[in-house]
Amino acid sequence: MFLVRPVETSDVAALEALAATADPVVHTLPRTRKAIERAVERSIASFAARVDLPADESYFFVLESEVDQSLAGAAAIFASAGASGAFYAFRKDVLQQVSRDLCISHNVHALSLCSDLSSHSQLASFCLRKGKEQQAQLLSRARLLFAALAPHRFSEKFFAAMSGTTDGGMHSPFWDAIGRKFFRMDFLEAERMIEGARNRSLIVELMPHYPVYVPLLPAEAQAAMGKVHPGGALPFRILSQEGFVPDEYMDIFDGGPILRAHRNALRSFSASMQRRVARESGAEHGSRASYLITVAREEKFRAVLADCIDLELSESVHLTDQVRRSLDVAEGEPVLCVKL
Amino acid sequence: MLVVRAVKQDDLDGLLELAMQAGSGMTTLKPDRDTLARRLEIACASFAGKLAPQQGDYMFVMEDAAAGRLAGVCAIKAAVGLDEPFYNYRIGTLVHSSKELKVFSRMDTLYLSNDLSGCAELCSLFLHPAYRVGNNGKLLSKSRFMFIAQFPHLFGEKLIAEMRGYQRADGTSPFWESLGHHFFRMDFNRADELTTLGKKSFIAELMPRHPLYVAYLPQEAQEVIGLVHADTVPARRLLEQEGMHYEGYVDIFDAGPVLQARIGELRALRESETAIVHTGRNETDAVALVCNGVMHDFRAIAAPVCVEDARVALSAEQQSLLGCRDGDTLRTMPLHPKKKSHA
Repeated sequence: MFLVRPVETSDVAALEALAATADPVVHTLPRTRKAIERAVERSIASFAARVDLPADESYFFVLESEVDQSLAGAAAIFASAGASGAFYAFRKDVLQQVSRDLCISHNVHALSLCSDLSSHSQLASFCLRKGKEQQAQLLSRARLLFAALAPHRFSEKFFAAMSGTTDGGMHSPFWDAIGRKFFRMDFLEAERMIEGARNRSLIVELMPHYPVYVPLLPAEAQAAMGKVHPGGALPFRILSQEGFVPDEYMDIFDGGPILRAHRNALRSFSASMQRRVARESGAEHGSRASYLITVAREEKFRAVLADCIDLELSESVHLTDQVRRSLDVAEGEPVLCVKL
Repeated sequence: MLVVRAVKQDDLDGLLELAMQAGSGMTTLKPDRDTLARRLEIACASFAGKLAPQQGDYMFVMEDAAAGRLAGVCAIKAAVGLDEPFYNYRIGTLVHSSKELKVFSRMDTLYLSNDLSGCAELCSLFLHPAYRVGNNGKLLSKSRFMFIAQFPHLFGEKLIAEMRGYQRADGTSPFWESLGHHFFRMDFNRADELTTLGKKSFIAELMPRHPLYVAYLPQEAQEVIGLVHADTVPARRLLEQEGMHYEGYVDIFDAGPVLQARIGELRALRESETAIVHTGRNETDAVALVCNGVMHDFRAIAAPVCVEDARVALSAEQQSLLGCRDGDTLRTMPLHPKKKSHA
């Protein structure tokens, strides 16, 4: 059994070990002990805060194996991507160029540095050490169920930046064509210095002020636009199933796609059901399915996966003793359920 | 002996022949009879003083009177970019710096500009290959500075000349291939041809409107910005001797440099002097440009002469080439600039 819960101070050492195993090209977890401690403190304060409007809260979740209480993964959601500065992304613009005299008309793609996504809530820092697709689903989507439980803490719009492709090694062709010319350093060095952030004012100091005309980029850089790193394929698939779509935004460093969705398009919001907890006796009949189940409360948030009898026509959800213990819920209490 | 003179109505056939010889490299001298006839008409009206100054197009031909043929052509447009927009790239600088990261990037940029609108332009220079000897090329090109020195009121503040940009041995332009080609999707000659047909508006419509960072271009294209075609190197040097220089404007197609100067700072304005002509012989090797002061029948030659006490001696043949008589006032200037002393 695996459980998703808010991060705690005692997780710092395990998070540090987790970050050490993560591929720096793919993952945006904080890496140094100091940064991890900061992130954990911020998360604890955020969960405890009374929020009217989303601001600089960041909610950090961990995936825990209930067998040995080890940390199997981590994921975060930021209430407002640009809370401490603007969140920068490239927007794909289409510039139409028409010459009536010559009867020529064509569209030219250009990338413009923008801060359009600043007010969105951002999914970030997804990292899974062990566990299969089901655990990845649990870890990734628990964040959104929390958002569905506490919508006032988040924006109506969400996005997640996927890591872009590299040439097999540490080189990003997209970075080499744009960022390197302005930062004058390697991709990973820049990521390290900026700590994976996209909301620092130095971005606007260094990155191009004028649109980047796509036809002027080398073919490899053009090919990398909107492509996901193979290591990010799983989170990409999970978020796509959840309702996220890649549209006109991409990462300014590696050209990875930015997935976006309005909350109404997300299954965690539109297809989740609130049910009362009942004790599973073993005598219930009906077809069973896997569900993501979270406690319907903001404090002591818990999420697990459970096989339950189809909930569509039922007012309650029958949970085993173990699941109820994991979720820390009593009979009659409400939970939020969504089919896997 | 050769004389450079203001073009005349009956030069059309000779001009057409020259234009055919020039081939496709000359964008402002296409072998098209109607186009040339129109240009000739404007030029004659300009020399006759019948046009507003900014509409002037002063075209000159180099004549081999003995052979009865034209050896070359050149022109000065009084003002560019007043009817049709005149485009260049201006090389600019943007600094991107972050104290925090200790990064300081000085980036060259290309700005599409019409900054040179209203400048006078040296253009349409072509010398028949059979005449590319001695001082002929210098006479043809520099006679225009004598005209400007003689009639500075016809021109504005600035003079420019667009130089043909760098090309590879196979005639392709690395700059065009890396930039314009992506936006025009046609070959360089076709694009260049369209500009001369007066279809310049398409440039604004199809070229990137926003400034470009030079760093986006491939290395080869970056390196040719402001470089001239190998065949144009002597022409560039010649104009530079006369006080023109590159100030960071380049052609939007091939990145050839635009040379420019304030008219008042041209060597011809500072070093040329007037002198009264008399028939006689000169004991000198120093070649000078000599021109008359008649606008509608402007004439210039290159000859070894020296000016003493504001008097200049010319042979009867030279006088007839210049259409002058004893006692007329001429303008002279050494063909070559004085060697700069490096004291």
